[in-house]
Amino acid sequence: MPINDLLSELGILPLRAIAVQSMLLMVAIVLEAMVLRQQLRLGYRTSMQYAATLNLLATSLGWVAFLALEAVLPLSLRSQVISYVLFNRFYTNSWRDALPVVVVVAAIAAFFVTYWIKLQGLLWLLQLLGQKPAENTAEAIESDRRQRYERARRAQIEGRQGGTSPRALAMLQANAASFTAILVLLLLINQSGVLGW
Amino acid sequence: MVGLFGFLRRTLTELWQAVLPPRYFSWQTVIYMSLFSWLVSMLARLLAATAFTVGLLATISWICLALGVGWALEANKVRLFGIPVAPWVSGAILCLFLFGSWGGRWLQPALVSWPLVSFAVIAVPSLVSWDFDLKKPPPMVRQQLALLFCLSLLFSSWFQFYFRIQSWVRDYPSLVADSVDNSAFVYRFPGQEVALPAGVTHLTIAEETLREQIDNKPWPSVERWLLNLEGQRQALQRRVQSQMGRDASLEDSLWRLDFQPLSNADGYTLKLWAIWSGPAANEDGYYLEKTCLLMPVNRGGLIDTENAAPGYTTTQWASLTCDLQTPRQAGHPRGTQQQGLS
Repeated sequence: MPINDLLSELGILPLRAIAVQSMLLMVAIVLEAMVLRQQLRLGYRTSMQYAATLNLLATSLGWVAFLALEAVLPLSLRSQVISYVLFNRFYTNSWRDALPVVVVVAAIAAFFVTYWIKLQGLLWLLQLLGQKPAENTAEAIESDRRQRYERARRAQIEGRQGGTSPRALAMLQANAASFTAILVLLLLINQSGVLGW
Repeated sequence: MVGLFGFLRRTLTELWQAVLPPRYFSWQTVIYMSLFSWLVSMLARLLAATAFTVGLLATISWICLALGVGWALEANKVRLFGIPVAPWVSGAILCLFLFGSWGGRWLQPALVSWPLVSFAVIAVPSLVSWDFDLKKPPPMVRQQLALLFCLSLLFSSWFQFYFRIQSWVRDYPSLVADSVDNSAFVYRFPGQEVALPAGVTHLTIAEETLREQIDNKPWPSVERWLLNLEGQRQALQRRVQSQMGRDASLEDSLWRLDFQPLSNADGYTLKLWAIWSGPAANEDGYYLEKTCLLMPVNRGGLIDTENAAPGYTTTQWASLTCDLQTPRQAGHPRGTQQQGLS
C-alpha cells in the first residue's frame, strides 16, 4: 500500500502534541479574552484579537526556547526529555530523583516568563496598532472618573492603584486563569485517559 | 473539405482564445513568462551559456511561477476551509526553489521556513508599495499581520519539532522498537513494521566472540575459561563495544552486555543478555535474551584411534549452539534472578 509506505517513511509524528496544543490554546485564548475584556474594557473582537496574538506569540517563543535548550542539554538530561516525549515517563538514570523539582521549578519559571512576554507583547501590539502605550487607558479611565468624582475620591483611587498599571494587573489575572485551566485540563487528560490514550 | 477546414479553424480559434490571456495584466501572462523563461534557460544550457545566465533565467522562471500560481488561485478564489490557499502555495513554490537546489537534507529547511515564507508572501504586498516604498497599512491589517506572523511561527515550530524527533530516532534507533501508545506528544500510525532494537546486533557479535573463544576447544580449558567469569564479561563488553565502534551511535552506551552460565546435565546453558538501560515504554525497561548450549562432546569416533596422539580419544571438546531467537523480556535479568533466589 503506497499510503502505508508513506506513513512508515514519515515515522513518528507529533500529532498528539499538535492536537492537545490547539485545544489548550483555544481554551486559553477564550479565557484570557474574557479577562482582558472585563478588566481593560475592550470590545469583544479586540480582546479576542489581543488574546489570540499574545498567546500565539508566547507559545511560539516557548517552542523556540524549548528547541534551542533541548539542543544544548547534557545527554543524560536530553534522554530524559526524549523519554518523556515518547513514553510519557522518566526512566531511571542519574537525573531521576532531581527531576520532579526541576519540572516544578521550570513550570513556575514558565509562568512568570510567559507573563512577562505577554505584557511586553501587549505593549508592542498597542504600539504597532498606533495606540499610545502605558498612559492611554489609565488616563482615559481617570479623566472619566475625574468628571464624576470629586478630588478626594480621585486621590484615594490613585493611592490604591499605587503605580501598577491596570494593564499589568489584567494580564496577570488573565495569565493565571489560563495557566490554571491548562493545568487542570492536563491533569484530567493524564489521569483518566479521556481521549482514549 | 470546406467543412473540415471550417472545423479546424473554429477549433484553433477556440484553443487560441482559451490559451490567450484576457488582458495583458493577468496571471496567464505571468505563467507564460515563467514558461518562456524556463525554455530559454534550457536553451541557454544547451548552448553552454555561463552558469550565471542559466541561473538567472531559472530564477526568473521560478519567481514568475510562484507569482502566477498564487495569482491564479487568488483570482479563482480557491479556499480550503475558508482560508485562502494562494499564499501557502506560492510560499511552497518559493521554498522548493530556495532549498530544492541544495541537495541532501533540503526538506527540513524547506518545510521549516515554509510558513514564514508564506507569511512574507502575504505581508510584503501590504507593507511595500509598487514603487518599493514602505507603507503603513491600516491598524486592522497590522493586527491581522501580527496574528498571522505568530501563527506561522507556531507552524514552523511544529515542523521543527517533527524533525527534532527524527533526529532523536537517528541518535537512538532502538526507540523505534518500543511502543509510543502512552505518549502525550507523538503518534505512529498503526500497521507499520517495527524495527528490531540494536541489541540484537550486540548479541550477534557477542555470540561470534564466544564462538571464537570456547567453541571447538578442549573441555578442560573451557571450564577454566568459565572460572574467570567477571573477567570474561568485561572482555566481552569491550570486544562488542569496539566492534560496534565502526558505526557507533549515541545509544551504544545504553546497552549492557551480560551472560551467566547455568549448569545443565554435563554442560552448561549460557544465557546472553543485552540489557537496555535507556528510555523505555515499560516501567522496568527490557532486555533481550539469547540462549546458548555449551556441551562437551566426544570426538573419539571421528578419528582413527591408532594414529591419534595418546590421550586424544579421551579428551572431550566443547560445542556451542545458540538459538536464533532473541526474545524480549521486561525487567532486568539480574533483578528477577535475585528475586528468584531470595
